[in-house]
Amino acid sequence: MSILIEKLIINYPYFFAVILLVIGALTVLTRSSLFKKLFGISIMESAVFIMFIAAGNIRGGTEPILNGHNTGAVYINPLPSALMLTGIVVSVSVNAFALALIMRLYKTYGTTDANRIAELRKEVADR
Amino acid sequence: MSSVTANLPVLVVIAPLFVAFILTTFARRIRLVEGLVIFIGILGFVGAGFLAANVFIKKTPMIYQVGGWPAPWGIELKAGNVSAFFLLVAAFVSVPVSLFSVNNLSDEVGGKERVTRFYVLYLLLCGAMAGMAVTNDLFNVFVLVEVATLSCCGLVSSRNRPRAAEAAFSYLIMATLGSTLILGGIGFIYIITGHLNMGFAHEGINKIWQSNPHVVWMAFSFILVGFGVKSALFPLHVWLPDAHSAAPSPASAILSGVAVKGYLICLLKILYNVFGCTLMREFVIHRILVLAGTVAIIAGSILALMQIELKRRLAFSTVAQVGYIIMGIGLMNTKGLSGTLFYLASHAVIKSVLFLSAGAMIAASGKKNINELAGIGRKMPITMAAFTIGSLGLTGIPLFSGFIGKWNLIVGSLELGNVIPAVVIVVGSVLCAAYLFPVIRVAYFEPVPEEDWKDPRLTQKIALISLALAVLILGIIPGPFLELAERAAVELLALK
Repeated sequence: MSILIEKLIINYPYFFAVILLVIGALTVLTRSSLFKKLFGISIMESAVFIMFIAAGNIRGGTEPILNGHNTGAVYINPLPSALMLTGIVVSVSVNAFALALIMRLYKTYGTTDANRIAELRKEVADR
Repeated sequence: MSSVTANLPVLVVIAPLFVAFILTTFARRIRLVEGLVIFIGILGFVGAGFLAANVFIKKTPMIYQVGGWPAPWGIELKAGNVSAFFLLVAAFVSVPVSLFSVNNLSDEVGGKERVTRFYVLYLLLCGAMAGMAVTNDLFNVFVLVEVATLSCCGLVSSRNRPRAAEAAFSYLIMATLGSTLILGGIGFIYIITGHLNMGFAHEGINKIWQSNPHVVWMAFSFILVGFGVKSALFPLHVWLPDAHSAAPSPASAILSGVAVKGYLICLLKILYNVFGCTLMREFVIHRILVLAGTVAIIAGSILALMQIELKRRLAFSTVAQVGYIIMGIGLMNTKGLSGTLFYLASHAVIKSVLFLSAGAMIAASGKKNINELAGIGRKMPITMAAFTIGSLGLTGIPLFSGFIGKWNLIVGSLELGNVIPAVVIVVGSVLCAAYLFPVIRVAYFEPVPEEDWKDPRLTQKIALISLALAVLILGIIPGPFLELAERAAVELLALK
């Protein structure tokens, strides 16, 4: 048991990533507000980003730049951070597109609640 | 010429993406935009044909190193038999679909100035599909999956109806959930192997799986659920019927026909090229796939039977057909895999012709329920003939393309000594006939209505006829195409 706790403490970024992933997934699945669904997605994506970046980090490592000063030092792995930069760009574009869709839905239905929209859809004739 | 051939794997990806951005600069000249889209579609098909011929004759995959950096450090594009096969399918289907949408979209997307946006998203989707076919890098898979997802959502929401925006939003949420899981799965593979290149990740994972089986389980389950959401595997299909029936008809055709298959090809490549056959058998991944496929076939077919709207019925039918492909991926022998690839190709063509002809009928009559389309076969003979050929093909009648795929799948499952998939395939075909033949019966054998419904204009007729002919040609002379599928299956199974 104590080994488990020790491992959790050492690997705390992964632990946080799992918690964030679960929070995000629950928010997406249980909340009916469209905004909260979007927040849930963002939280889930952040969880995966944290996992990647934690995987690239080495404790006590320096930035991987060859400038003559830090030769022989331990470098952190820059690749996961670079990949997650792309991931963040993707996530931002998803958010922008989702917000545009929410705007369009709000103009049509006057609400941003998924359950309310489902009720209203029966009233608004689908032409 | 030889330098062009050597660069083909990257050209087929870059050309549509490049043209997509050029299109935005002359948004108002729709004729020019449409001409350019069809031109790039034909160019892409020719390119894919050259690439496939090259791979087929030389029998070695074409490898392109982006920026000239060799594999473990740089990004690698690899066009083997699987890639060439899917490229050919995607490039072929995209030409008639864009031909069908010529001069036809402004009503559905709400105004002429919005037509160009549709084409921009369409070309982005084509580029992403080509990229998914040739990429050999796991992070590239994620990026291309996201490009495809966002352009799919854009295509769905491009229809000028509130229902389309709603469907697009739920699609976006579900699909982003899926791609987050895919990224997580790729992350697990990267963490334990240190590689993103599929070949190196495969070597790494083979060395490490015995000591870290849990991480492999996590990676596999994240990737399966992620791609399952994207490709509408049965319990995760909830977004598909709304999205595919709310989209404009050409978009429904390309989404149901090609986009879903792109994700399936990615799943196939990750399962066979990264995890490999030994690992799939060790972790009973193949059994899970066969089970998931079986459930999807039955459930999707029954759900399709219950629909009264034509486009929704076709959309649910896609859920069932994805089941066949997933099942075939899990069969893990040459017959089963070549059957699944051939079925994937034939479904891409068939579902496109079904959605396009359904779209033409709905546009001409203004009716979207099946029983309201009574007698339409007499008024719109060419459209309904194309629909009939598509239905016969999907059901798997001999001499139509679906039959050869299903036959190989059945032979593949019997080779394993497993009767259940074979029985389910037959039952699925019967159910398929049960939900598609009533449309044909209503269209031909009900009294002809008074209304003035007409076949669509010439370009659309050409699109429908060429797709219907492709269904027949694939069914009657499958020779070289089936050979390519078999080589692809051998290539996939060669990696241990």
